[in-house]
Amino acid sequence: MSSIEKVAVIGSGVMGSGIAAQAANAGIDVILLDILPKEGSDRDAIAKGAIQRMLKTNPAPLMHQRNAKRIRPGNVEDHLEWLAECDLVIEVVIENLEIKQALYRKIDQHRKASAIVTSNTSTIPLAHLVDGMGEDFRQHFAVTHFFNPPRYMRLLELVAGPDTHAEVISTLRDFGDRMLGKSVVDCKDTPGFIANRIGILWMGVAVRFAFEDGLTVEEADSIIGKPMGIPKTGIFGLLDLVGIDLQPHVESSMLATLPDEDMYRDIHRPSAFIEKMIAEGSTGRKGKGGFYRLNRAGGKKVKEALDLKTGKYHPANKSSLASVEAARAGLRALVEHPDRGGQYAWRVLSHTLSYAAALVPQIADHIHAVDEAMKNGYAWKWGPFELIDKLGPQWFAKKLAEQGMAVPPLLQQVGEGSFYQVENGKLQYFGTDGAYHNVDRADGVLLLADIKRAGERIDGNRSASLWDIGDKVLCLEFHSKMNAIDEGIMAAASKALKIIPAQGYRALVIHNEGTNFSVGANVGVGLFAANIAAWPKITESVKQGQDVYKALKFAPFPVVGAPSGMALGGGCEVLLHCDALEAHAETYMGLVEVGVGLVPAWGGCKEMLLRWSENPRHPKGPMPAVSKVFETVATATVGKSAEESRALLYLRPSDNIVMNRDRLLASAKERALAMAKDYAPPEPRELTLPGPSGEAAMTLVLNDFHRAGKATDHDVTVGKKLAHVLAGGKVDPTETLSEDKLFTLERNAIVSLLRTPQTLDRIEHMLETGKPLRN
Amino acid sequence: MPSYTAPLRDMQFVYNELFDPTEITALPGCEDATADLVDPVLEEAARLAQNELFPLNHSGDTSGCQYEDGKVTTPPGFADAYHQYAEGGWIGLPCDPKYGGQGMPGALNVLLEEMACSANVAFATYVGLTRGAYRAINTFASDELKDCYLPKMVSGIWSGTMCLTESQCGTDLGLIRTKAVANENGSHAISGTKIFITAGEHDLAENIIHLVLARLPDAPEGIKGISLFLVPKFLPNDDGEAGERNPIRCTRIESKMGIKASATCEMNLESATGWLIGEPHKGMRAMFTMMNDARLGVGIQGLGLGESAYQAAVEYARDRQQGRALSGARYPEQAADPLLVHPDIRRMLLTMRVFTEGTRALAVWVGRQIDIRDRSEDAEQRKQADDLVQLLTPLVKSYLSEVGHDTAQMAVQVYGGHGYIHDNGVEQYARDARIAMIYEGANGIQALDLVGRKLTAHMGRYLRRFFHPVQAWISSNTANAELQPFVLPLAKAFGRLQLATGQIAEAGLKDPNEAGAASSEYLKLFALVTLAFLWAKMAKVALEKQDNDDTGFYQAKIATAHFFMERILPQSGALFASIMSGGATMMTFPDDAF
Repeated sequence: MSSIEKVAVIGSGVMGSGIAAQAANAGIDVILLDILPKEGSDRDAIAKGAIQRMLKTNPAPLMHQRNAKRIRPGNVEDHLEWLAECDLVIEVVIENLEIKQALYRKIDQHRKASAIVTSNTSTIPLAHLVDGMGEDFRQHFAVTHFFNPPRYMRLLELVAGPDTHAEVISTLRDFGDRMLGKSVVDCKDTPGFIANRIGILWMGVAVRFAFEDGLTVEEADSIIGKPMGIPKTGIFGLLDLVGIDLQPHVESSMLATLPDEDMYRDIHRPSAFIEKMIAEGSTGRKGKGGFYRLNRAGGKKVKEALDLKTGKYHPANKSSLASVEAARAGLRALVEHPDRGGQYAWRVLSHTLSYAAALVPQIADHIHAVDEAMKNGYAWKWGPFELIDKLGPQWFAKKLAEQGMAVPPLLQQVGEGSFYQVENGKLQYFGTDGAYHNVDRADGVLLLADIKRAGERIDGNRSASLWDIGDKVLCLEFHSKMNAIDEGIMAAASKALKIIPAQGYRALVIHNEGTNFSVGANVGVGLFAANIAAWPKITESVKQGQDVYKALKFAPFPVVGAPSGMALGGGCEVLLHCDALEAHAETYMGLVEVGVGLVPAWGGCKEMLLRWSENPRHPKGPMPAVSKVFETVATATVGKSAEESRALLYLRPSDNIVMNRDRLLASAKERALAMAKDYAPPEPRELTLPGPSGEAAMTLVLNDFHRAGKATDHDVTVGKKLAHVLAGGKVDPTETLSEDKLFTLERNAIVSLLRTPQTLDRIEHMLETGKPLRN
Repeated sequence: MPSYTAPLRDMQFVYNELFDPTEITALPGCEDATADLVDPVLEEAARLAQNELFPLNHSGDTSGCQYEDGKVTTPPGFADAYHQYAEGGWIGLPCDPKYGGQGMPGALNVLLEEMACSANVAFATYVGLTRGAYRAINTFASDELKDCYLPKMVSGIWSGTMCLTESQCGTDLGLIRTKAVANENGSHAISGTKIFITAGEHDLAENIIHLVLARLPDAPEGIKGISLFLVPKFLPNDDGEAGERNPIRCTRIESKMGIKASATCEMNLESATGWLIGEPHKGMRAMFTMMNDARLGVGIQGLGLGESAYQAAVEYARDRQQGRALSGARYPEQAADPLLVHPDIRRMLLTMRVFTEGTRALAVWVGRQIDIRDRSEDAEQRKQADDLVQLLTPLVKSYLSEVGHDTAQMAVQVYGGHGYIHDNGVEQYARDARIAMIYEGANGIQALDLVGRKLTAHMGRYLRRFFHPVQAWISSNTANAELQPFVLPLAKAFGRLQLATGQIAEAGLKDPNEAGAASSEYLKLFALVTLAFLWAKMAKVALEKQDNDDTGFYQAKIATAHFFMERILPQSGALFASIMSGGATMMTFPDDAF
């Protein structure tokens, strides 16, 4: 297996530039080539323009702006010789066989002997692409199909041709997995591969039956959404997002290549209604609106939905289908519900799931690949076979038969069984050979889900658990609602602090597999306590959190944090007290307390002051570090990636970034074990802080912001409390402050803010709307 | 027979001294409600209650209402009294001047309602329901309906009802079966049978305006599918006068334990014409507006009866000579000492008194918040007042009805065997007081409302409106040595309430049965702390004014406050212990073992 150190991406459209950006995020040098512009003197203008757009696009394709410097723009006329330096050339040009093949011939002339060439085609079979190409090219060629946007969608479909070298595939798989952080799924060379093959049929039935069954747009999305474990955009919201005008192209290219007897051919109906929408420019979010639109008339933003009967917009209604309510009891309760929502759910699922079941082994060797593809490519919570298991395969087969629908052989074969089972603590899938096979993880992949299946938890409560992850390492898992830090998590952490030395464990890893590591402290509990004026209890619980975090920091064993997703407020602070972090590249850290009218009080201020004052690249003296922390915390700045978080010093230089989230736990465990040899806890440090003069300086800044209308009255109140803490209170600048003294300052500040009605209003607003209140 | 004298001095104390009356006169439309106006209004209302309503109380109970062939006849004298009451403008006193009301503060109306309930609670039900219906129509109905119905309701020419209950559904209104079908002219045809309709039919007003809960054909199941309709007994003509008879008819009246002069009707609707109030399927929202007001009114029934019972008991305890004081004869010249000398009689009388005076202060406090909620120009102030009203409404309904009932029972006890005799009057109070603990949401439901909705709403925001002012008041008065006997017990009970609140919120989150199991005791604890707060405040006002105390009013107030703190408030300790022990003993008891 050879390593890939330099990559060329040819084609700098949305997908090409996204792939280039993700490679640059991985620290790889990238060459980005496109055709010559129609006009202008700069022959590299198209690729350069693409790099410019990367810097502005939201959500950002780059994990840090400076990563753009790794991408060298050029054009396919002048710079093909650059390909000689590349280990991998990814073609991402227009879906036109002649153009692609012409390009391949050029690439083949310039690529170095061992270089791999791949295409990001979504519709053209690999066999057609390499038709007429030389054997060496065919041996080094594969399809690498990314999903949009490439940074955020985890699926990478990998397709080998009959001539492709096994080593090429293993190199690509390893590259996609470790470097780009993707979940790589092996696919067959069939139309649409896995995800789009099933996804396009699913979208087709979901749209068609919504029209036929007389559902409103809102109703359809309320069924195709949370009840099915599909993102809340449902079907119509999804079409608006991807562009309604894209669908006819995708559909016709599928129809051009699908087998004659494919179910999609029966399902597909061109919709005059949608054709009219596209003709009128109602193509979704990018156009004049789609199935939804935001009506900004009269200065208000009103979300409106399209009436599928009249074609007119009306203010979006909340769906009141009883079937959506019923779905809380499970998927079967949804499809068995007699209302139109239940009937619609059945029609959509029966087609989609039986289609998926009929396609194995045609499109993939096993069902697990199909589930992984749908989960990572379409962000479904459950894959098709997991959904069938929820319904019960036998029940599903019987109901299909009752309705005169074909029962796919695989479904007949599984009979009374299920597609997945747990045997001896191992997850197994039902193979096409009729036997169950272990779901094997790649080397260096350790999943908490697997550990939880295999073993008993060591300790825990409703909010957190302790797991033995092997080699005498303990894992603290949060599982409260949104992983908010509460008393339960604090109790479990305290328990870990006792169990580890007592039972001979060597280290602690803090990790969970939730979407977000933790959204912060459970401020709802604090709000309730404040509402009943339980001030001593509030002080006590702030103190308790400080004690636990402090104990983690100075524990006689290493503590390694392994976050992914958001790590905000109290969730950020626990990481700041870890000895080391192995952070997923998609980790978003920030001390956002001011948004709810508070200041960080579980040591967030203290740790950030320590980091900035000890940062060797920063000017000396007490004030620069204080100003930097003030700027970061007073504006609730969040790193939009692990790299950005590092720039804010939420990550230290010694903390690692891991591209693939599935490798996070193993990395953290390895790190913890390495540290456990000859481990010595850190020494408490003293801080030199500016005292009242520093506080005055920060207050001046606040007042300027207030005058300029950029800070509200309460922003100033909160900012002053923060300034007081960061300046070290009334400390004499010639003296030093202990870490404990900082804890006291933080505690006093947060408790006094919880006594202000404005802070309580902010917390309530955040909890009820999910949005900050600017009061 | 007992007598009744309106407690005007205490009412004036609560209205003008305990609370700041200028906060009310600062509200739009209340500018004129100064002492110059309030005092004569109270005096006139007292005269009416004492002279017109009270004399009909016992006779009304004895004769009850009569039903014959769809018609209900109220007891002799009721119709005359009703006309006097209406013509005096008393029904519309707190109503909008736009519809002929006086626009007087709701806080003042609390006291007027108390007097009416003290004097004749059965009579007061006829008036109270009209006001509830007025409010629902005024808040939710179209202008057309408002203009047509409200002026006549405000003047009392027409009266109102609320028709919720059916034989299969009382508390659980989601089970309602009465149907409404749209007519072509925008009205609806409503059919079904309602029971327990207070003032559903009577001979006091020219027309009766029923607010009826019913289900439209396309209604979602359960509570989300209920709509509210206005169904008049007589359909108004083009000139606005009562015209054609609408087929909503009384088919029987109930024979009841108490409030016998109040007609409790079964109403049958056979395609009766009605008009939708508010939006389809959103009837419960409108109904809750009405019910919230009604709940306050029911609490005041308890307060009013408590006051009459207290007065009767005091009078009897002074007059009735029986036994000798334990420490030796106090009136050796008499054959026996009056009951008043006996400790247990004094315990009962003072208990009755602290509850009555304390709950009066609570009712007026809530009445003031309603005024602020409805009239303030400051949105934040309105919101805060609404929060507090939301929080305290279940307390007022439940606690006032309960202590009113207990007080009436104590009056019977003070009377001894004579209390059990119909002709002596006090057993009527005990019977009349019983229903207030049941209707408009049984007290157990109120307790559930408190722990299930009010506690958790907006993560405890309603609670803040009570806990923060009380905590602030405690803090700012702890240094006052003279107030120590009041502030310290209050602080102690308040601490218990805080702990119990936290416990219920936490336990209830994990298991709703825990919140339910604690709810009734919790409501009582909350109410006791509320009374303790008000008694401490009353003591403070009285202490400040005791040097200028010709009648001894303030001294009595301070002494009563001491009694509350020392003899009643300690109940908070028992309630607290009971709450904190959790619900397991109840919930694990085998169903079969009952």
